Amino acid sequence: MLPLSAKDDEYKPAKLNLLAKTSGWFRAIFSDQTSRNLFFFLLLNLSFAFVELSYGIWSNSLGLISDSFHMFFDCTALLAGLAASVISRWRCNDSFSYGYVRAEVLAGFVNGLFLIFTAFFIFSEGVERALEPPDVHHDRLLPVSVAGLLVNLVGIFVFQHGGHGHSHGDDGGHGHSHSLFNGSANHKDSHTDSHGGHGHSHGGHGHGHQDQHSHQDQHSHQDQHQALYSQDKFLPGKGSSKQILQGVFLHIVADTLGSVGVIISALLMQKYDLMIADPICSMLISLLIGVSVVPLLRESIGILMQRTPPTLDHALPECYQRVQQLQGVYNIQEPHFWTLCTDVYVGTLKLLVAPDADARWIQTQTHNIFTQVGVRQLYVQIDIAAM
Amino acid sequence: MDEKYSSNVLSSGKLGMVEVPNARLTRYIILLLISKVLKAVGIFESYDILKVVHIVQFIFILKLGSAVVLLFFQKPFSSGKAISKRQWIKLLKHSVLGCIISLLGFFGLTLCGPLRTLLLFEHSDVVVLALLAVLFTTSGGGPSKTRGAALFIIAVVCLLLFDNDDLMAKMAEHPEGHHDSALTHFLYTAIAFLGVADHKGGVVLLVVSLCLKVGFHSASRKLSVEVGGAKRLYALDNLVSSAVLLPWVIVLSATTESKVESWSGLILPLALIVFSVMILEFYVEAVCAAKMEAPRCARYSTAALFLSALLLAHFWSHPFTDRLLSVRTPLHGRGGTEHVLSGGVVVSAVIFVLASSILSAPSRKGQKGTLVGYSPEGTPLYNFMGDALQHTSQSLPRFIKESLKQILEEYDSRQIFYFLCLNLAFTFVELFYGVWTNSLGLISDGFHMLFDCSALVLGLFAALMTRWKATKIYSYGYGRVEILSGFINGLFLMVIAFFVFVESVSRLFDPPNINTDMLTPVSVGGLLVNLVGICAFSHAHSHGAAKSCPSSDHGHSHNEHGHGHAHGGHGHAHGSHGHAHGGGGGGMNANMRGVFLHVLADTLGSVGVIISTLLINQFGWLIADPICSLCIAVLIFLSVIPLIKDACEVLVLRAPPEHEKELDHALAKVEKIDGVLSYRDAHFWRHSASMVAGTIHIQVMAEVLEQRVIQQVTSVLKDAGVNNLSVQVEKEAYFQHMSGLSSGFHEVLAMTQQMESVQCLKDGTCIM
Repeated sequence: MLPLSAKDDEYKPAKLNLLAKTSGWFRAIFSDQTSRNLFFFLLLNLSFAFVELSYGIWSNSLGLISDSFHMFFDCTALLAGLAASVISRWRCNDSFSYGYVRAEVLAGFVNGLFLIFTAFFIFSEGVERALEPPDVHHDRLLPVSVAGLLVNLVGIFVFQHGGHGHSHGDDGGHGHSHSLFNGSANHKDSHTDSHGGHGHSHGGHGHGHQDQHSHQDQHSHQDQHQALYSQDKFLPGKGSSKQILQGVFLHIVADTLGSVGVIISALLMQKYDLMIADPICSMLISLLIGVSVVPLLRESIGILMQRTPPTLDHALPECYQRVQQLQGVYNIQEPHFWTLCTDVYVGTLKLLVAPDADARWIQTQTHNIFTQVGVRQLYVQIDIAAM
Repeated sequence: MDEKYSSNVLSSGKLGMVEVPNARLTRYIILLLISKVLKAVGIFESYDILKVVHIVQFIFILKLGSAVVLLFFQKPFSSGKAISKRQWIKLLKHSVLGCIISLLGFFGLTLCGPLRTLLLFEHSDVVVLALLAVLFTTSGGGPSKTRGAALFIIAVVCLLLFDNDDLMAKMAEHPEGHHDSALTHFLYTAIAFLGVADHKGGVVLLVVSLCLKVGFHSASRKLSVEVGGAKRLYALDNLVSSAVLLPWVIVLSATTESKVESWSGLILPLALIVFSVMILEFYVEAVCAAKMEAPRCARYSTAALFLSALLLAHFWSHPFTDRLLSVRTPLHGRGGTEHVLSGGVVVSAVIFVLASSILSAPSRKGQKGTLVGYSPEGTPLYNFMGDALQHTSQSLPRFIKESLKQILEEYDSRQIFYFLCLNLAFTFVELFYGVWTNSLGLISDGFHMLFDCSALVLGLFAALMTRWKATKIYSYGYGRVEILSGFINGLFLMVIAFFVFVESVSRLFDPPNINTDMLTPVSVGGLLVNLVGICAFSHAHSHGAAKSCPSSDHGHSHNEHGHGHAHGGHGHAHGSHGHAHGGGGGGMNANMRGVFLHVLADTLGSVGVIISTLLINQFGWLIADPICSLCIAVLIFLSVIPLIKDACEVLVLRAPPEHEKELDHALAKVEKIDGVLSYRDAHFWRHSASMVAGTIHIQVMAEVLEQRVIQQVTSVLKDAGVNNLSVQVEKEAYFQHMSGLSSGFHEVLAMTQQMESVQCLKDGTCIM
């Protein structure tokens, strides 16, 4: 007979609590492939930044130190993505009744904003430099930027690899938790051959568009959706969304582009003494970054502002019509449809019905109609019209 | 509106644009572009030649060369009907006028350089006629044309005022002695008499001659019909004008000695000019005018001409070009008096392109109407759809007026707007002063201020947008914009704080030498402006809670007081934050908070600059500057965190914290309502400052009246602050229905998709 104890908290010293918390975080991070990838890449980036910083302090080179701080700043994007991917899996509680799934959208948004800021700063600096090209010391520039490029290439490879495996898994009918990513991953895969950041960033850009189309013909994605909705109810559970990944991926691509630009301009400056190459390169890169971020930003702003999901834009009028054709339904009032997080749509609706109508039947029918277009959570308030 | 029905419709020509497919026109467009680029090259070349060749000689050579070529091509004497004596006299007049105009044009070229000449002189007739119509007639063609005309004038003014060309000063020093003929001397004295500088005189001269040219072109149309075609007229005109110029040239070459060393070196460039400026352009333009509409032609050619002119101006005097074109070495590099490419020119070139594209855009009149027949008098009758009547182009002044009215309506946006105006005024004063005194520090500071204004603009825009009505797509309205804007502003501040931090850390190791002479007045000015802003905004949302900014302190010296202010403001930010939490729907406005924090950060920045300047001046502590900025970065960071946290909570759909307790009570009350079994999926979230939305499922007993339950639940939750609620009432039978139907969401979806794929689904009832 083992002794039974009711006082659980006596067995948890405070020190161990912290440890448990940390280990809990780590477990949370490692339980999902995306966050694991993010974590490793963050570690890689951080270590690179530290090496750069310490080397910079040791050799007393200001350029290296400031560059390492830039790297730290870049790490914040990864950190935001990582935090969001962990947070979005927290359970819902009383105050956060929808759970924390919106964190992923927010993370994508923040990443996009940061990228826009960065692009803007780079652009303004490029303009400034184009007007009066400064003397760039390109002796130390090349190795650092090549190393940065390598790190970022690893990042691109890792995130593509993740998507790669998934797209394979999906073809085989695997029920992976984050098959959401495969839409983008497939697209990016087709760009893998065109090495260099240019093609990649365009891949990201095109993805924003392609994704919207791919939802129009849902029936072609049938098995993917089956795998996707295997979770109970509306909570997406583990699926880290494409918003985080898109944001992080764009960030890495931007960094890669930056290093590529630096390398190219350094080469141009060394070989041909074209001092103008540096500002032009940086301006082009910032333009590219800006353009590729726009779809992400637009999408996430739409979600955050409770926009009617663009994928439902065409489906909804038809649904309204069908609901109105139900027996006894007079009118539809205050239809609100919005996106909770990727591919989870929530809707509320008020129906004005005749006094003698079968409210339960109407309710069920309405639920059916909207479930068919992919609205997961629907609230139908039935108001009986006064005679 | 009745203007549309007037005879103007008839005079404006086409009934709607006849859009010729682009593919057929591509080669004409390319031809046009090439010819325009060549023309730009030719003008640049002729500027070089005009430095050595006298202007009259030059024009004579041009006219003669083109006359010879045209005679060869056009054969004006052997083909067509004979020309009467009266027509010869008209031709003579015509060519004299033409000579004068081209004289003026080329003289302007010598005055202001090729780029400016191209910008001013080479507008097509369509553009100038539209401009003149706007300026001097009442029915100019609507607000868009007015806009174009305003742009045009702005561009000219830009060239006049903001184009500080170093060469101009140089040339003004030696107006005399350089001129070798009575004519140029006369023109110079005429311009000097006007009292403007040489280059500006050139601009004025070119504008005048542009108007003359357009008048001349339209006048010559009749003559060209009489003579038999524009091409023939052109050929004859060239011939006659060279004949007119001949005596002058002979006299000139007899009296003055030529500066030209070898005419043989000039043959090639002259031939190029004759070909590109006189012949190719004329023919291509004639062909394109026949194939395309004139406005379109004008748009393309203007853009091509100006862009190539800009490029050429940049690369013409480049040493690289010299190496490429070593043929021209005798001409090039003489004296080095090249006209520089200043910012004013670039700006005005861009504005010119815009203006001419607006002005040459086809007039909208009669475009949307459909011809239904002719009236008995023979005027065409049009049928206008409602579309055409509603879609009038929005007048810019009216738009500004309306948005101003909207801005001034509400307190928040009014505050932001006034402060924005103040800030912008300060910035522009700073910029102008910086340009005036040529101080780079002031200019860059001005641009920084301009950048800061972007936060204000964002806030203003958000405050406006919040009031937009809900649309079908944004079904909850745009209230969230202000939260997003607050969030963005907060993030922005964080990024700035981070960069300031980094920079100050790097300065901590290696404090740079700052020249402090100009810093103090500017930062004191900035501080004043920002203090006003802090006062305005803290009044805007401190409800008497934190009056930390007494306005009586204003006139004081701001060094120590400023710091106190800043701290007060800082504490105040927290205070207002607490207030928002405790107030309970009092008006948490993230947007205003973001703007306020931004202003606060600016204030802190100027305070820091002032303090560090004082410390450096008094004690020579160079380390004071990085330490100050370090503190400021940390302060900004700390003060932004609450804003970001709140905005995040709203954005991830947290239940509004200030309503949490009430909501709990309300839910407990809901459970106690008669007939209610339980509730599930209760979600409440704050949508915007004024709206809390909520959804709830309620299970009731079978015999309860649903409507009554809905009303009770709604009223209970409304008391708790939820003002956009939808309640779904479920009875036992509903669950049986749903569970009998399917066990979950994904199965319904899968089933639907299968049914869709076999195309058997007709309507919702099919499932049953």
